[in-house]
Amino acid sequence: MSAVDGQGVALGGLEHAGLPVARARRGRRPTVRSVTLRALGVFVVVVLLLFMIGPILWLALRAFSGLWQYPQFLPSHWTLKWWSSVFADRSLGHSIQLSFEFAPVVTFASAAICLPAAYAFSRFNFPGRRVLLVSLFATNAFPKIGLYISMAGVFYSLNLMGTFLGVVIVQLIGTIVFMTWIPTAAFSAIPRSLEEAARDVGAGPLRVFFRVTFPLAAPGIFVAMILTFLASFDEAQGTFLVGIPNYITMPTEMYTLVLNYPEQAAAVFSILLAIPSVILMSLARKHVMGGKLAEGFQIR
Amino acid sequence: MVLPPVAVVAVFIGFPVGAAIAYTLGKTGGPNSTVALFAQRQHVAKHGVTFAAYREVLGNAHVRGDLWATVWVTLVTIAVVVLLSWTIGLYVRLSDTRIARTVSALSVVPLFIPVVIASYAILTFYAAQGFIKTLAYHVGWHSFPTLGYTLWAVVIGEIWVNVPFGVLMMTSGLNSVPNALIEAARDSGASLPRTVRSVLLPMNVIPTVIVATFTGIYVLGSFTVPYLTGPSAPNLMGVSMAQFFSSFNQPQQAEVMAMIVFALAAGIGTIYVWANMRAAKRSSVTS
Repeated sequence: MSAVDGQGVALGGLEHAGLPVARARRGRRPTVRSVTLRALGVFVVVVLLLFMIGPILWLALRAFSGLWQYPQFLPSHWTLKWWSSVFADRSLGHSIQLSFEFAPVVTFASAAICLPAAYAFSRFNFPGRRVLLVSLFATNAFPKIGLYISMAGVFYSLNLMGTFLGVVIVQLIGTIVFMTWIPTAAFSAIPRSLEEAARDVGAGPLRVFFRVTFPLAAPGIFVAMILTFLASFDEAQGTFLVGIPNYITMPTEMYTLVLNYPEQAAAVFSILLAIPSVILMSLARKHVMGGKLAEGFQIR
Repeated sequence: MVLPPVAVVAVFIGFPVGAAIAYTLGKTGGPNSTVALFAQRQHVAKHGVTFAAYREVLGNAHVRGDLWATVWVTLVTIAVVVLLSWTIGLYVRLSDTRIARTVSALSVVPLFIPVVIASYAILTFYAAQGFIKTLAYHVGWHSFPTLGYTLWAVVIGEIWVNVPFGVLMMTSGLNSVPNALIEAARDSGASLPRTVRSVLLPMNVIPTVIVATFTGIYVLGSFTVPYLTGPSAPNLMGVSMAQFFSSFNQPQQAEVMAMIVFALAAGIGTIYVWANMRAAKRSSVTS
């Protein structure tokens, strides 16, 4: 966008490329320039719509298609039979249940491990604080599949291959950074003067924490927990490597589904798997967009 | 209080990675003894270390093909994601129209969709009978290439997955530049590209580095996207790594590949930590 309105900014260009706060656009007559920019904007939206949403819609249609021949844009025959066949499949039902067992366990384990640390990182300045905070980045510095391979090699000796605990650990590893950095940023954003004021009027340290600090940091913690839940719920590659053949969660089941089931069944299963993600992310959306995620990634 | 997460990282990342390094150098004892029991084609060091496993893996033409494919896909994805995030971030920052808001809403859609589903959806969208081929057919372009099961589909998938993080980081970075600064530059006659180059760009080096490094490391460590959308060979290292480990029973070779990918990522990670440290130093001086 920016490259288009290069030179003639003094005339009409500012209307669209201009700053939202600086100039009111209302009441001006459209110029050739502003119309071109607008058309370009619409074009970008259409391309982005196709690129971002297109694949999802195309897959969703498949879940209801009885007969769909190339090159038709829509199925010629619609059906719901794939839904009943997925619901009737025992192993698929079991993997759905497993996913809902792992995700809460991982979320609470991760919270229990990381939240006290997040508080300490934001409130106490101890030697090695920065080094330790950065060292947690190790979980993200290693490319995931390479890390899982290394973990799996040792998991044989630790008797963790194919166990519930092994899968929990693999899923937990990827969530430590969210669960520490985002709440650390949230705790750091609370002015100490608020806590001191509460203490001055006689509140004990625990009371200060639960009545002042925690409620103010709650949105950040909430976002971290949702991201952790989803990270666990959607994690496929590590679970695939460590959990097989005993623990096959929903996303791991997709690998087999794609290869061995009709496309329509895989589409139905995809929609089912996406539902929790869509709901939970919608809850966290406001905070994630508001910069909670971005804040967490700038080490302070 | 800070001990638990640090201990988890040390025990479940530090320890396995250390053991894996030893294993790739031919040390089959200790924590590697169980995996070494069933491993095929293992290179064992009698005394000291041996680089035989590395020689074997790097001497394998298929693996070298995978390595180049990995580097190529990673670089292209980083470039496109950075460019796209900047473009969308700038558009949202400088324009307050409904179009801009739609663009920013669209660009974070992948956050809502699990990667497995996204990969599968992208595969069917660009497949031989997918939407793109159908569209090309209807506009008369019958020879339009099928992108499904090619490295292009992998690149498309990786971009799709990484765009939301990039856009969120860049939007947040660009929003932290005060309006007054941009207006001052514009009022003193700077064109928009000039303003971007001399005001917005220098103030957003860190978010840009973060987007580039996280995207790069994500691609290097990805399995799902290339496994579902990519060709059988050459594909990304992540896929062949998992194959060597689970299907061919050659964990040592798989771990050698992991080390190669770690080395690639180490370069990227160093840039990230360095940029962050530099920023922290600067902000502690100014504020």
